[in-house]
Amino acid sequence: MRNNIRRPSRRTVLTGAAAVAAGTAAGWPRVSIAQSPPAQEITPALIEAAKKEGKVNYYTSVEIKVAERIAKLFEAKYPGIAVKVERSGAERNYQRIGQEYASKIYNCDTLNSSDAAHFIVWKRDGLLEPVVPVDVAQHYAPEFKDADGTYATWRVMLSAIAYNKTLVKPEDVPKGFRDLLDPKWSGKMVKAHPSYSGTIMTATHQTARDLGWEYFEKLALQKIMQVQSAADPPKKIALGERALMVDGGDYVVSIEIEKGAPLELVYPVEGTPLITGPSAVMKRAPNPNAAKLFYLWSFTQEAQQAMVDVGALRSAHALVKDRPGRTALKDIKLMRENAAEVEKQADDIKKRYTHYFKV
Amino acid sequence: MASVELRGLTKRFGATAAVDNVSLTIGDGNLVCLLGPSGCGKTTTLRLIAGFIEPTEGEIVVGERVISSPRRTLPPEQRMMSMIFQSYALWPHMTAAENVAYGLKIRGLDKATVDARVKAILAVARLEALAGRYPSELSGGQQQRVSLARALVVEPETLLMDEPLSNLDANLREEMRFEIRRLHDQFRTTAVYVTHDQAEAMTTADVIAVMNGGRIEQLGSPEDVYERPVSEFVARFIGASNVLKGQAIDRTQVAIAGVPVATTGRALEPGRETAVAVRQHDIRLAPAGSGEPPANTLRGVVRRQVFLGSSRDYIVEMQDGAEVRIAAPADQSITPGSAAWMHLDPERCRALTR
Amino acid sequence: MTRLARSTLVQPEATRLRLDLSGPVLALFAALLVILVVLPIAWIAIFAFSTKDGGVTIANFVAIFGDAEFQEPLVTTLVIAISVGLICCLVAAPMGWLVARSDMPGRRLVRTLVTASFVTPPFLGAIAWELLAAPNSGLLNQAWRAISGAAPDHHLFNIYSLGGVIFVISCYTFPYVFVLVANALDRIPGELEDASSMLGARSWQTARSITIPMTLPAILAGVLVAFLQAMNLFGSPAILAIPAGFHTMTTKIWSLFQFPPKPELAAAAALPLLVLTIVLLRAQSAILGQRSYAVLGGKYGAPRPVRLGAWRWPALAICLGLMLLPVFLPYGALFNAAFSKVPSKLITWSTLSLHNVHFTFFELSQTWGVMRNTFLLAVLSGTVGTLLALVIAYLVARRAVRGHRWLGFLATAPIAIPGIVLGVGLFLAYTRSWLSVAGVDIPPMILYGTLWILLIAYLTIELPASYQQLGSAIQAVHPELEEASRILGATRLRALREITAPLLLSGVVATWCFIFVAVVRELSAAVILFTSDTKVLSVLIFDLKESGDLGAIAVLGLMMLAITTAVVWLANLIPGAEARRQASQM
Repeated sequence: MRNNIRRPSRRTVLTGAAAVAAGTAAGWPRVSIAQSPPAQEITPALIEAAKKEGKVNYYTSVEIKVAERIAKLFEAKYPGIAVKVERSGAERNYQRIGQEYASKIYNCDTLNSSDAAHFIVWKRDGLLEPVVPVDVAQHYAPEFKDADGTYATWRVMLSAIAYNKTLVKPEDVPKGFRDLLDPKWSGKMVKAHPSYSGTIMTATHQTARDLGWEYFEKLALQKIMQVQSAADPPKKIALGERALMVDGGDYVVSIEIEKGAPLELVYPVEGTPLITGPSAVMKRAPNPNAAKLFYLWSFTQEAQQAMVDVGALRSAHALVKDRPGRTALKDIKLMRENAAEVEKQADDIKKRYTHYFKV
Repeated sequence: MASVELRGLTKRFGATAAVDNVSLTIGDGNLVCLLGPSGCGKTTTLRLIAGFIEPTEGEIVVGERVISSPRRTLPPEQRMMSMIFQSYALWPHMTAAENVAYGLKIRGLDKATVDARVKAILAVARLEALAGRYPSELSGGQQQRVSLARALVVEPETLLMDEPLSNLDANLREEMRFEIRRLHDQFRTTAVYVTHDQAEAMTTADVIAVMNGGRIEQLGSPEDVYERPVSEFVARFIGASNVLKGQAIDRTQVAIAGVPVATTGRALEPGRETAVAVRQHDIRLAPAGSGEPPANTLRGVVRRQVFLGSSRDYIVEMQDGAEVRIAAPADQSITPGSAAWMHLDPERCRALTR
Repeated sequence: MTRLARSTLVQPEATRLRLDLSGPVLALFAALLVILVVLPIAWIAIFAFSTKDGGVTIANFVAIFGDAEFQEPLVTTLVIAISVGLICCLVAAPMGWLVARSDMPGRRLVRTLVTASFVTPPFLGAIAWELLAAPNSGLLNQAWRAISGAAPDHHLFNIYSLGGVIFVISCYTFPYVFVLVANALDRIPGELEDASSMLGARSWQTARSITIPMTLPAILAGVLVAFLQAMNLFGSPAILAIPAGFHTMTTKIWSLFQFPPKPELAAAAALPLLVLTIVLLRAQSAILGQRSYAVLGGKYGAPRPVRLGAWRWPALAICLGLMLLPVFLPYGALFNAAFSKVPSKLITWSTLSLHNVHFTFFELSQTWGVMRNTFLLAVLSGTVGTLLALVIAYLVARRAVRGHRWLGFLATAPIAIPGIVLGVGLFLAYTRSWLSVAGVDIPPMILYGTLWILLIAYLTIELPASYQQLGSAIQAVHPELEEASRILGATRLRALREITAPLLLSGVVATWCFIFVAVVRELSAAVILFTSDTKVLSVLIFDLKESGDLGAIAVLGLMMLAITTAVVWLANLIPGAEARRQASQM
């Protein structure tokens, strides 16, 4: 980060595509938020207003089936409001929103991303509408919510190692990341991409910080199968296409195990990257009431519990019970998440990653 | 009804002039034939008249109206012309009757009138029985007649024909020549007929314009161009003439292979190279006698003779090496290799202008 | 006959007074073409020479050509394109000959199967081949291990490799060569071969000395098309090459649009593809020159099929065997994936499951909107695109306007632009805000986020192929047929409508179907231009692919094929299309 000052901020680069042509950057208004607004409950008036809008566009990077199931739960709870799930990788969604906003297309109502760094940018650029669900105010620890009330952690997950038990002998099971550099794993591993997945972006930042980039430089020589989404490696090892996943959403592994896939998670001895996935309401939401309703609902104990139950994710909600039999976070050595650093280093991380892995 | 006048018409494609300063007046009701070898500009001239292409220079006037000039060209559909194409250009997705009716429908006639006119013209063209057939089900001659009927039924001011018979076999071609002439006599439409076949031109045309290299070489009645060719090109192209070259001796005589030959046609300039056209059957061939040959008689050696049934085709080589082709009576046989005399009738020796 | 009195006949005076709209209509189409083609290309050109803040630079080219990160994909792309061109030629040319000129049984069947492989989107084929030939989970590799008893980590095929990419692209590119060769052979009159036989040439000599040289232009054109297709394809390499850890030019260009987008580098990276395509197209016309073998006029008999004798059935077996690769095996794998819980396991009655179908149609909230967008766009593009190509091809073929050569050039130009780059060009052209040029403020044209921008993209992308299809169809209609109509009083447009159009009907229907199919399977431009409201099927499948949802992909893919097939089949039921083609061949 030698040229931190001269490097264009993410936002100017974001609008660069249109700006070079147009000569002017299509900016959005800057809003300074002094403090967190009062906590909100779901009121009949809000439900009524939301039903008039009839739909909500939900951008998310959570695994598609989990996203659609959450959406169906909401639709069941509030009939007449259709949730349109726009699922893509968090980094892809980030670019998409930038592109859409630069063209004055305000399609997104509420969004959820696995890259907490995005919210720093969006908040700074005034894209987010401050809304504080009463659950967040009461049951969320400060590290899981924005002090100004613009976003809060909707889900928590890990990017862990996992393997297919039919393809890896018990005595070979790796203990940590550095074990993956053993030549015996060459051609046997699958890995997701930080340019696509927010989970992987965040995890790559933590791993590179704690293990050094040399780890990735060596890992790249292992003939890794490179996929895009953090939801894909668990599916690839479930298919038996590769024996081991280097990174990926732990919740997708759990779902695959429930479906009967012979998979097993490994929490690396070096520490497991922890990823928080915040949600927020867009200031320019086309369906502002439905957006707010969905947002408020998604942080209720009920919705958070459902997210844990159907999505195998973890919740920051104090009252939500973790899945039975799941290793508690406090029993796992975690790497420390630092969204502010990710925000600063994202471009560099992608550049280095592409340099080592060629794609 | 109107005459068609071409005034200094020129069409250039790039540097080459396909049509070069052509001026021609086609009288009302006349059939003019543009005759010439391929590439002489006759089809381009026709397409200029039709309005498919614009002239580079000059103009085309129909009646009082300028229909083509470099500045403004009336589109073909507004020229009140009809055209018969070399390919017939019958529309394969329409029956014979539908093909014929098309032009009438465009003119917005009601159905009953259209039907009546189509019926009448099909009768004239002897096509009644074939009205419902598609072009692919018709013979070449039948297609040709449909094409004629389609062009005539709209009673155009001007009828254009582009090698209309070239796709027919020889017998049919002869029959159709007379058919076209018959229909022309009946309708008296101002017509332009393009062909490379001089017999076709002779049969059909009121006036023949012989074209060469984008220019009109000679314009005249069929008799004119046949009997009185003005140039070597016309003489050779029309009716198979020998063109003999020599030096003019006085105002009427040309020395050919050393023999003074009396000519007709124009006053000669003594001392100048002059070409003389003599038709093959206008040369009287005889075995060489003893002594001096009579006046206007050339000497030569028979090189070849072919029996053609009604005549004998001779090639005789003169002393200067030039060859003369002669159509002699069938019963006159002279063995190749023997010497022969060729008598030229002064009335039939035409001194050429060019 | 004198009863047909001249004076009673109405001459087309009315026509003379009526305004002839032909000219303005022609001008309109010319302008449209400029907007469709020149605008995006211009933006790409501007970007290739721009710095991020709008300055002029050649730094982008320096960055591209000086960096191994770009050189490697360029070399890879060339290797793929050349290999695909050769493979397609070797497979498709003999097959085209068998179908067009031999007495092999089942010729229609083979043609139909080739059409099926053409209708298959290459990215769907690539996904299907992942299911078949992924080194470990691929069904074929599993079968191989089961049969041979090979070790669990042993594999016969690895689709995630350069060879795999070449193979899969070939599977879905060879129909181009096949169709060109078979059509060329269909048009060569049998007499030409008979003449050779009469001179004592044996079948193979005739083939070598007459048939092959006459087919050569078509083969060459086919190889060129295959080469360009392979070079500019995005979906298959994105699916197969990236997991294997290498890029082609198109995937590299695509990666440049990931955050932070570098459109100026992408534009510069597109330049080698652009130049190469133009050079190849020039070379082709230089080699072929005026050697046009189109046989016009005259009546020729239908070609006499060459007797294969004992080879009839083996030939069919080989053809059908080859069709395993683009059609039977992939669709088998997709069916398997659609109806099983684990796509890498063969379904049995006990594992048969409809949960993918249920998920796709009842849980996936995007399915219906995406379907609506896709088929609306496909129908619109087919209709507008056919009309556009028809008029342009007509203007060029008939040299109807000054500068018709430029029209032809513009209509062919998009072939040199990879879809993904065109997508960016359009994105840049239609997302900007107010623009000031020489003191004149140009209002913004924001089409991004609407279906219009996708329509424009599809029209532009499909223009070269549809223009050429209709161009050759128009060439086959003798100009005198139109002139005959015009001289009888029809305006140019009326002649076009009443004479040319009916004669072109089968060509028009074919082009419409071609565009429809191509739009449904188009991915590379759509992947840049879509928004969540304007997503199309191919992009949805691509999205699902990125998160590994193979079951839903299989269901969507099969449905896409079913609907496409149904639409093409219906279009060909248009009355008279077949019969009229027969007539126009007269």
